[in-house]
Amino acid sequence: MKRYTGLVLLSILTAAAVAKVDLVTLPASEAVQITIYESADLTLIRDSRPLTLREGTNQLQFSWADTLIDPTSLSLIPKASAAEVDITDLSYPPNASHLGLWTIQSRLAGSVPFEITYLTSGFRWRAFYAGILAEDGQTMRLEGYVRLTNQSGEDYDHAQVRLIVGQVHLLDEIVALARRAFPYGRPGEEIAAMLPQVLQERTRSAGRIYKAMDMAASVAHKEIRKEGLSEYFLYTIEGTESIPTGWSKQLPSFQAAAVPVVNLYKFEEEMYGSSVIHYLSFVNDADHQLGQTPIPGGQLKLYRTVGKQGNLAYEGGSAFKYIPVGQKVELNLGQAEDVLVEPKLMEMKTDNYRFDDEGNISGWDEICTFRIEAKNTRNLPVRLEIKRNFPTSYWTIKNLEQAEKVFEKVDKDTVKYTLLLPPQSAQSIEYVLTTYNGTRQQDWPSKTR
Amino acid sequence: MKQILQVLLAAAVAAGAGPLFARTKLAALPQREAVDIRMDHPLYTLIEEERVLTLSKGLNQVDFSWQAVSIDPDSIRLQPLDHPDGVRLLNVSYPPGEAALVWEIASDGNWAERVRISYLLGQIDRLAAYKALTDKAETKLDLTAYLIVRNFSGEQFDNARILIGAEAAFERTIAGGETRQLLLMQAGPLPITKVWVWDSAIQPWDPEKLEGQNIGIPVFYRLVNEQAAGLGRAPLWGGKMRLFQDDGSGSTIFLGEDILPLLPVGRKAELTIGDSRDIVVTQRKMKEEQINIRRNRKEQIVLYDTDEILTAKIENFKDTPAVLTLIEHIGGQWEMNSCSLPYTRKDAETLEFEIPLPPRKGDKPAAVELEMHYQRRNIRP
Repeated sequence: MKRYTGLVLLSILTAAAVAKVDLVTLPASEAVQITIYESADLTLIRDSRPLTLREGTNQLQFSWADTLIDPTSLSLIPKASAAEVDITDLSYPPNASHLGLWTIQSRLAGSVPFEITYLTSGFRWRAFYAGILAEDGQTMRLEGYVRLTNQSGEDYDHAQVRLIVGQVHLLDEIVALARRAFPYGRPGEEIAAMLPQVLQERTRSAGRIYKAMDMAASVAHKEIRKEGLSEYFLYTIEGTESIPTGWSKQLPSFQAAAVPVVNLYKFEEEMYGSSVIHYLSFVNDADHQLGQTPIPGGQLKLYRTVGKQGNLAYEGGSAFKYIPVGQKVELNLGQAEDVLVEPKLMEMKTDNYRFDDEGNISGWDEICTFRIEAKNTRNLPVRLEIKRNFPTSYWTIKNLEQAEKVFEKVDKDTVKYTLLLPPQSAQSIEYVLTTYNGTRQQDWPSKTR
Repeated sequence: MKQILQVLLAAAVAAGAGPLFARTKLAALPQREAVDIRMDHPLYTLIEEERVLTLSKGLNQVDFSWQAVSIDPDSIRLQPLDHPDGVRLLNVSYPPGEAALVWEIASDGNWAERVRISYLLGQIDRLAAYKALTDKAETKLDLTAYLIVRNFSGEQFDNARILIGAEAAFERTIAGGETRQLLLMQAGPLPITKVWVWDSAIQPWDPEKLEGQNIGIPVFYRLVNEQAAGLGRAPLWGGKMRLFQDDGSGSTIFLGEDILPLLPVGRKAELTIGDSRDIVVTQRKMKEEQINIRRNRKEQIVLYDTDEILTAKIENFKDTPAVLTLIEHIGGQWEMNSCSLPYTRKDAETLEFEIPLPPRKGDKPAAVELEMHYQRRNIRP
């Protein structure tokens, strides 16, 4: 295994003797844990190793040339005998870049388990999804996957992998901290972010070496343990993974065989123009075979089952935002051709004119009758939401016939009609909107709608 | 070892010796006996070093020079320690074109005199950095503070005392170009309060209008610098804090980072860890009507009131309870007609609601509704 971080234990050496020391005790890593964040280029590495200490002053040298480690995040803690071991200093010596030197005061001699933690850039993970609609369009098989990519410059062998969903607050980009000439900069210096071009070239060549190994390793499906922590969701992948730098790995995260879906169509001229937009709607809950965990944001590829042989047809792509447990999902599938909405102004008149002292018009009402015709040409029932926005909050509405039953006021100048359209059907709603203009606003009957 | 600061002793120059510009430079270099690096000032670092000067009775000239080192010449001071009355600094001369000065010292005897030389040195400073570990329940945290000394002054300090305030002192060798992280303080467990804040002036009102985007509600930890909290002895320096959380399985996760502002004793700090996407606020203006309209003779409106209704639906999708701080702003003169939840008036235009949110039930979110009905008064168009 090729590693670019190095550990050297120096026993009672003076700081001056640091630069070229050949005495190397490279303690083997017992366990490595990688926690990769989704919302930022940020990974927490935890490396457990036993170190053999002498009584007195010990120095541990850690080097990280050609990696993307943030040197200010380096931390060393004893996991046992903590009362006997003090870690007093971490020095970043001059003329030795990418090198840290811990001073460990020990009151015992022998092996002590330690944990080195640090933050690194270069790992990414993302969720993506495949949705397969049943032929009747009423249910969807939903498959979730995660893909990890290691561009950190460091190979990780048999590491426990954990993935974090959530919006983390960062002040500095880890990659910028990793590329700084001095770990904390110089007095008065700003961070200069640079792209690790040299690193990328090297990782390409490193990739080929591991090809055979990686192909052999990814055979069995792994369980993913899921739990909430603070404002984050933590996915822990069963067992360990080996991810050389430059490589990606895909793992399945969940499957739901038949999620009941609603074919939701939306019409709102101010938002979508004259098009009807198709959404696939369901809820992240048990009724929809989901609800175990939040769903991380990611891209979805949607297919439809066609024919008795179970062939697939590609419907289109969409994207999930982060969906907490219990929240409704609305996947935008783009413009619909098979559901049509046409609003028509059927009648327009003005009334109730008011005049000022000079005889000019100071107020009036506009009374408009609209008919909205909706047509479902699909062989499925659909739900259609029609939103109407008004230019003023001084309005009253009279819903005609069945329009009243499907009407809802959204806010002071928006209303919504929700229609359930059976397969191959048409419906229309009609309403009369009166808007109060100028001094007529004073006569607006605010108690009514 | 690199030392750029030099003290040259032009030894035993007799009284009435030649003019200063014909300086003799004798390489009798008195070594530093002790060095203090005092870093309690946030911007300036004061160096105090002790050296032994071999003084002859009469007048002595001592040459102090600093090449490639940033020293404020006005800050250089010389103080005799063994014979404060018998050794007097008569004057200081600055040779042209040199980073140097010459002290003219009168001595009452032939002494090896210990003196303290102090000066403000540039390109050497300190930072504070913090690491905090919260428990799984997020009710307390363990705090570790580090002092980071950045020495790019060009000078190496051997076995120097690094002083910060009255209490803390470290004895270390700091090389030129070295950055050194020192363990400053460990405290804990310290009680913390977790706070979610939704401010109607900052956050979008209607998540439905932002399709495909999550609206994060900032999450803070409140930490008080007080004795009851295990601190309260001194101000905490401002610095970057990285927060981690115990995951309950022997490991930790990184929660986020924020700047801890300089925190005097008794004051509280709010540290952002990240955004919550599991609490969703949907706020809507349901009514905004001009009432009590007053017009001039030309029928133009000159004064009016408004009657407004604002609703907010707060949904908690978390499986744990939370307390949301919801901040509303009503400008100008106003009166609350009715409000469905209690609030505190923080100032003329700011209302603060502390809204306890129960956890979601099974997989159904818990929802709390707020309705404010108020009138704004005497608005001029």
